[in-house]
Amino acid sequence: MLGMLRKQLKGHPALIPLLFFIGGGAAMSMGYLARLALRNPDVCWDKTNNPEPWNKMDPTHQYKFYAINMDYSKLKKQGPDF
Amino acid sequence: MAFPSQLGFQDAASPVMEELLHFHDHAMMIVFMISTLVLYFIVALVTSSLTNKYILDSQEIEIIWTVLPAIILILIALPSLRILYLMDEINDPHLTIKAMGHQWYWSYEYTDYDALEFDSYMIPTQDLTPGQFRLLEADHRMIAPVESPVRVLVSGEDVLHSWAVPSLGVKMDAVPGRLNQTAFIASRPGVFYGQCSEICGANHSFMPVVVEAVPLQDFEAWSTLMIQDA
Repeated sequence: MLGMLRKQLKGHPALIPLLFFIGGGAAMSMGYLARLALRNPDVCWDKTNNPEPWNKMDPTHQYKFYAINMDYSKLKKQGPDF
Repeated sequence: MAFPSQLGFQDAASPVMEELLHFHDHAMMIVFMISTLVLYFIVALVTSSLTNKYILDSQEIEIIWTVLPAIILILIALPSLRILYLMDEINDPHLTIKAMGHQWYWSYEYTDYDALEFDSYMIPTQDLTPGQFRLLEADHRMIAPVESPVRVLVSGEDVLHSWAVPSLGVKMDAVPGRLNQTAFIASRPGVFYGQCSEICGANHSFMPVVVEAVPLQDFEAWSTLMIQDA
C-alpha cells in the first residue's frame, strides 16, 4: 500500500500537503480522544480497583490541556478534607 | 451598553472581553482579506474574454491553495484556543456572588461574610427618570469591586435563564438544579448592562442584569449599609 502511495505522490506532489494536514488533523483528533479516555477523571475503566476517579481529584494537578496564567502546582486546596 | 445602529461589540470592561475584541478584529481582518481576494478573482474572471480549454491540472497551484488556507486556519485557531482556555481560568476570586434567575427578575446573594440578599427588578418604562435606559435599568444593581476577580455562581429557581453582561464578556446559563460558575474582573468603574439570554416566558425581555463596578471602599460602604438596612 505504501508503494502505491509513493507512486501516486511522485506523479501528484500536490497530494503531499493534503496528506500532511489531513493526517495531522486526524492524528490530533485521535490523540485528544485518547487523552480524554485515559486522563479524564470522569472516565472509569476499572470498576473494582478504581471505581470513582472523580472523587479522588488532586487539587494541585493540572487536568486541563493548556493552562495560560494559572500554575496549578502552587494552588492550595480550598475544600474540606473528608 | 448598546447604542442605536451599533455594529460592533460594546467597549470592553474586563481583560477577557478585551482579548475577545482583539481576536475578533484579527479574525475579521483575515476574513476581509480572503473576501477581497475572492471578489477580485470573480471580477477578473467575469470581465475577461480570454479562455483556456486545455489546462488539465497544475500541481504547483494545488500545493499553494492547500498549504496557504491550512496556515491561515492555524493562525486563527491558535489565538482562539488560547482565549478559550484563558476564559476557563478562575484565578483566586476575592468575592463570590450568587445570581439566581427567577421569572422574571434576578436575585443576588452576597454570602461570603454576612447574609446579604436582594432582588433586582427591571424599572418599568413609565417609571424611568430622564437619562435612564429603557428595558435595561434595574432597581437594585449588582455592585462589585473594581479590579477584583469576582466569582459568580449562576442558577435558576424556576425555568432556564441566562446571566449575561456583554461588556464584561460573560454569559452563563441559569439552570434549575445546577450551579454554574463564571468569573470576571471589572477593569474600570462603571455600570454594565446585560439582558436575560435564555427564553423564560412572557417577560424574558424585561429582566435585565445591571452590574455596577465601584472602588473597594465604596463597595464595603454599600454592603455595610445594605446589611444594616435589612
